[in-house]
Amino acid sequence: MSHLTRAPRIVLAKVGLDGHDRGVKVVARGLRDAGCHVIYAGLWQQPEAVVQTVGDEDADWLGISILSGAHMTLVPRIMELLEAAGLEHVQVLLGGIIPDDDVPKLQELGVARVFGPGTSIPEIAKFVGAVGEPSDD
Amino acid sequence: MTEVVAIRELLDRFRNGDRQALNRLVSLVSRGEALEEVRVELSGIKHDARLIALTGNSGVGKSTLVGQLIEHIRSQGETVAVLACDPESVLTGGALLGDRVRMSAHAGDVGVWVRSLATTSGRQSVTAHLDLAAQLLAQYGFDHVILETVGAGQGDVAVDAIADVVVLLIQPEIGDELQWEKAGVLEVADVVVVHKGDLPGAAQTETQARELLNLPGCEETPVVRVSSKTKEGIAELWELLADLPSRQRVSSRDTRRLLRLVQEYIADQFAAWPEDMNSVAEDWAAGKLTDADAVQRILAHVVD
Repeated sequence: MSHLTRAPRIVLAKVGLDGHDRGVKVVARGLRDAGCHVIYAGLWQQPEAVVQTVGDEDADWLGISILSGAHMTLVPRIMELLEAAGLEHVQVLLGGIIPDDDVPKLQELGVARVFGPGTSIPEIAKFVGAVGEPSDD
Repeated sequence: MTEVVAIRELLDRFRNGDRQALNRLVSLVSRGEALEEVRVELSGIKHDARLIALTGNSGVGKSTLVGQLIEHIRSQGETVAVLACDPESVLTGGALLGDRVRMSAHAGDVGVWVRSLATTSGRQSVTAHLDLAAQLLAQYGFDHVILETVGAGQGDVAVDAIADVVVLLIQPEIGDELQWEKAGVLEVADVVVVHKGDLPGAAQTETQARELLNLPGCEETPVVRVSSKTKEGIAELWELLADLPSRQRVSSRDTRRLLRLVQEYIADQFAAWPEDMNSVAEDWAAGKLTDADAVQRILAHVVD
């Protein structure tokens, strides 16, 4: 009966110019099945647009997928804009190809967690506090 | 439940035009919280924005058409808010809300506001308390409020009770003439759009719709052929919608509205599962109670 409590709302987006969206779509599907309300914002988003989406959708989480290597440019901008919009309460997750050396720097900027290749969906679902585990029902 | 003080603070910020306060208030009312405070806040306020609802089968192009309407509205210098409903899984409570991808041409434009909503229960095509959410958006200052329902098809008449204008989307090759005679959503449509108007057969479907919806003696229902691909018909549709008189609003004391209030009341009671009903759930799961008996007991509990 636990799914009658409020489902976590998570915006998933890709920022910048990389068009590889297979991974983020798998995550979207997996989190949906784990009981999340997943708002998929799509490809090629600008940081400004993503932050407005997070606000207007009143999301609890923002998940960003970056495979282009531009994370040290895009993520700081997003964190800045979130703060400027009064959205400090939104937790940010990162996925894609992020070199290990950059992970501590990103966490210092306020990124809650970086999920690299090989991450399982239940791991992410557990992290965002999704309660439903469909296979256990 | 949110604290009274916190809601008062939110309403203060809302009055000052704080967008994040608006965002939070919409979330609260769509979850059935803070309803009284918001009703009091909005009472006696007159606003001009009408709630325009788009409905129709899934895949007919509701989100795409909304995206086109957003573009058209923005090109005229007006602002628009969209409430887009998608279904929530009955099994897991999860939902994948992807409508805004088709509206993304205006991502980052502050004159456009889009909220994706998961409709609970799998039965209704719109979420509860959407009328309040729409009023909040209008009061905040959006010129137009558009509601996109879940693609619920023939039984989708719930929009009728909350929308000022109901637009039904159909596409070419939807079925033989008898399809048109069925009761249901066709009865509540104020405008019928033949979408994907660039496809072969669109003109025939348009003619069919016009002939069958506008029999002598019937109130006339306008039929418009629109193609989001070629943008043909978008401007005409919007002009038509702007000129259309609002339907008799539901503030009247009619039975359908009463029924909806009862449905919403029951749904609110289940915002959280009543813990003391666990024994009923267990007996039902173990096969000791029939479906009907289990439902009866839980309903009796809610009414107490």
